[in-house]
Amino acid sequence: MKNNNTKSKKELKKIKTVDKIIHEPARLNIMAHLYVVESADFLFIMRQTDLTFGNLSAHMSKLEEAGYIEIIKEFIGKKPHTMLKITDKGKQEFDDYRKKMKQFFNEL
Amino acid sequence: MTEKIDLREIEKKSYRFTFKDGIYDIAYGTLLLSFALAPILREIIYLWYIIIVIPPAPLIIILGKRLITVPRIGIVKFDKKRTKSMKKMIFLSAVLVPITILILILTITNIFPGDIGSLMNGYTIPIVAGIFAIILLSIGAYLLDFPNMYLYGAIIGLGIPITEILQRYIGSPTDGIITFGISGLILLIFGLYNLSKFIQKYPIPKSGLINEK
Repeated sequence: MKNNNTKSKKELKKIKTVDKIIHEPARLNIMAHLYVVESADFLFIMRQTDLTFGNLSAHMSKLEEAGYIEIIKEFIGKKPHTMLKITDKGKQEFDDYRKKMKQFFNEL
Repeated sequence: MTEKIDLREIEKKSYRFTFKDGIYDIAYGTLLLSFALAPILREIIYLWYIIIVIPPAPLIIILGKRLITVPRIGIVKFDKKRTKSMKKMIFLSAVLVPITILILILTITNIFPGDIGSLMNGYTIPIVAGIFAIILLSIGAYLLDFPNMYLYGAIIGLGIPITEILQRYIGSPTDGIITFGISGLILLIFGLYNLSKFIQKYPIPKSGLINEK
């Protein structure tokens, strides 16, 4: 019984170290979609994640604040256009998150 | 959060999402219909018919993507692996398309070297052209990861020799209308159906500034 308790505590400790910014389902979805492409614009990510404009905008700001994504301003013709790209830090954190979650569920 | 994150699947889904608009089906359908109508056009406007036959398909792809698809689903740049596949496809097309066009011109003008044209009862060139089309479009389908292209390859590749066979029994232009006309029309209707579904599902966002945020 005591052994089981100690094990559970250890597992809980591990899950506490999981990145909470990425752990949120909508942000996890955004990160996964940006991880697999070079870059994408706001509309493409909106279509892929089925998030509303406001929702996506709020999550993007959080991810940008954390330094997980970067916003690249460019011009297409004369129109300004915003592309989103996952940063190296974002990639690293996303890899870590996946590893931790995998390990956690394997040990569960 | 117990679901496994399959990144390959996400990438594949994102990539194939860009083909959901039916534009390629419309373009190939139009190309096949042009093949079917080519003999009629050739009678009316002679060699100028090539101008009507060739440009519509690439124009539909370029303008369709720019004016219909991108405003609705946005822009995405895929990773280097996809870009490399695209470059290979361009290289392959640059090599094989001129060869295929050369074979077609030599067939049309009846100046194919030697007696190759008369081998196998004159079926050699249509069969070779058909095999070329199947190989080119199958490699394209594989490199671009776009399964519909296998179907285009089969329709064009089988259509060329079948047209030749039908020509001997029912004559031109009915032969082409039966082979390329019917398949082209089916493909065109399929593409238009997909496009209308796509337009309904993904309207242009009201805020045109969505990507200028």
